[in-house]
Amino acid sequence: MSASAQGAKRTLSQRWRSMSAREARLAWLLILPTALIVFGVVLFPAIFSIWISFHDVGLKELGNVFQAEFVGLDNYRAVVDDFAFKFQGLRSWGAAVTSVVYSFISTFVTILFGLVAALLLNRPFRARGMARAVFLFPYVAPIVSVAFVWRWILDPRPSGVVNDILMSLGLIELPNAYLAQRGLALFIVIMFTAWRYFPFAMLMILARLQAIDRTLYEAADVDGAGEWAKFRYITIPELRYVLGAIFLLRLIWTFNKFDDIWLLTGGGFGTNVLPVLTYQFSFKSNDFGMGAANAMILLLILVVFLVLYVGVVMRRVDDE
Amino acid sequence: MSTDRTVARPSDEKLTLIEHLSRRLSLRQFVFAIALAFFLVSILFPFYWMVSSSFKSYAEIGGREAVYVPSALRLDAYRELFDPAHESFQNFAVNIVNTVKISIPTALIAVILSVFGAYAVTRLHFRGREVLLNSILLVYLFPGILLIIPLFAMVAQIGAAIGFEVRDNLAVLMFTYLAQTLPVALYMLANYFRTIPSEIEQAGLIDGCTRLEVIWRITIPLAIPALVSVFIYTFMIAWNEYLYAFVFLNDRNMFTMPIAINTIFNDPQPRPHVVMAASTIMTLPVIVLFLALERYLAEGLAAGGVKG
Repeated sequence: MSASAQGAKRTLSQRWRSMSAREARLAWLLILPTALIVFGVVLFPAIFSIWISFHDVGLKELGNVFQAEFVGLDNYRAVVDDFAFKFQGLRSWGAAVTSVVYSFISTFVTILFGLVAALLLNRPFRARGMARAVFLFPYVAPIVSVAFVWRWILDPRPSGVVNDILMSLGLIELPNAYLAQRGLALFIVIMFTAWRYFPFAMLMILARLQAIDRTLYEAADVDGAGEWAKFRYITIPELRYVLGAIFLLRLIWTFNKFDDIWLLTGGGFGTNVLPVLTYQFSFKSNDFGMGAANAMILLLILVVFLVLYVGVVMRRVDDE
Repeated sequence: MSTDRTVARPSDEKLTLIEHLSRRLSLRQFVFAIALAFFLVSILFPFYWMVSSSFKSYAEIGGREAVYVPSALRLDAYRELFDPAHESFQNFAVNIVNTVKISIPTALIAVILSVFGAYAVTRLHFRGREVLLNSILLVYLFPGILLIIPLFAMVAQIGAAIGFEVRDNLAVLMFTYLAQTLPVALYMLANYFRTIPSEIEQAGLIDGCTRLEVIWRITIPLAIPALVSVFIYTFMIAWNEYLYAFVFLNDRNMFTMPIAINTIFNDPQPRPHVVMAASTIMTLPVIVLFLALERYLAEGLAAGGVKG
């Protein structure tokens, strides 16, 4: 009996050993399809994009890209000199500056809305679960639907809601085209972005709020701290890391965003951002080289954000 | 918050403190109610406006003033979408079918592949695991617009080489959706798998199951809630996707819903009621699915599940 037990043990340990030897191969096999798709559709195209940005690729070169002429930095020069890209004073910011302004302000407003919403939902009240679900609607609804509803609400005809309300209040006499005015259009696009994405910030903040140790607040109560003091000296410090993480994620995603601005204004009236400009270079002017160069500039700015963030903000947080 | 708790258990506190708190609380409750109402109205009104506008007539849409409640549940807009006898029939049913045809396979394949991938990165040890996982997650931060040009060029190149139309091909489009959704799916599932004690699987292995049997018989049944939420997420991403479909689809009969709605919106004769009807049809399944599974989904969202 002991011999057979020993035999069983040996085969078991052999199996374990052979398994650990085969484990790595199995792991690669399991992850291979995912890796292939991600590398084939993301990594390879990304590298290819660098190549395109240094070549003159138009519509007729598209069928045979590798015959395209090498043009060095010409595409980059053309982009930087383009009136749609470069800053030309306060009346015409150009896509680079607009992109940075748009993504920073929208991210800030998004987080502000998310923080207020999270503080509201952190209090117990009836139907809180239902309210939380409703708060998430803008985030889960299709972008096309919500963008077009807002365009219809802001419709330049007198039947648009905003025009109707402002006219019946006597604040304006004639209907306005809100998305066709410089400045105002950018403001609306920023508010739309905040409206659509605040639920993301809200959920992350809410999860963190519910994890704060309640004894901190109780101790503050004993010390006679007011609501503001508790918010300022307990809640905000506890939320600092999560706020920093949301800021970085949302900033990157907003900076990359094409759909929202494209659907609301098409990039007109002072709302042109780098992703929309990339699309316009490539598919409106059919200059894929310039499009790729513009996209590479976008990526470069993104990397600068990341480096600054990791180098300055994160280090300061660590120091404290 | 602690003040609420104090009020909830008044016997613990001195009377003066309660009075003090309740006076302040009523003001706070007022501010609270106003803020809550502000959020609810600004969120719900656009959705109300979408649905109600879809039931309006053309006259109500383009009148001298806004119509807040349609005079009757008119189906003009829906007839334009679905009734072949209508003068500007949109054949929206084809667009619905296309969207379903691409989003369900995307979700299914994403779930299957990410189960394997997530199992590999959480349970198996192999060299390069961290690098691989991190580089897949990097896709998260990558601008979609950057990939459009090289993908478009690749697709044109391949199309020219093998003489088959790669544009207007839902299967090609599906690959781009998979690349966008797989990192999310992998990340979410891997997080879930880490919560399943590996001892259960070890027991299975000792009982003589192969790794694949363990995945099929033990891991998958234990991870059903996570699989459901991954399916819904990837489904919703594919269902809502605009940019890639916009660039890769040319033929009206191949359009997914977002592109079809965009086309109706940009018609020279604006018909917002038709746009709103189509938007309602596209939004409704997403909201219903979300409400039905909100409990699972909100947690995944909180974990940074969905890129938006």
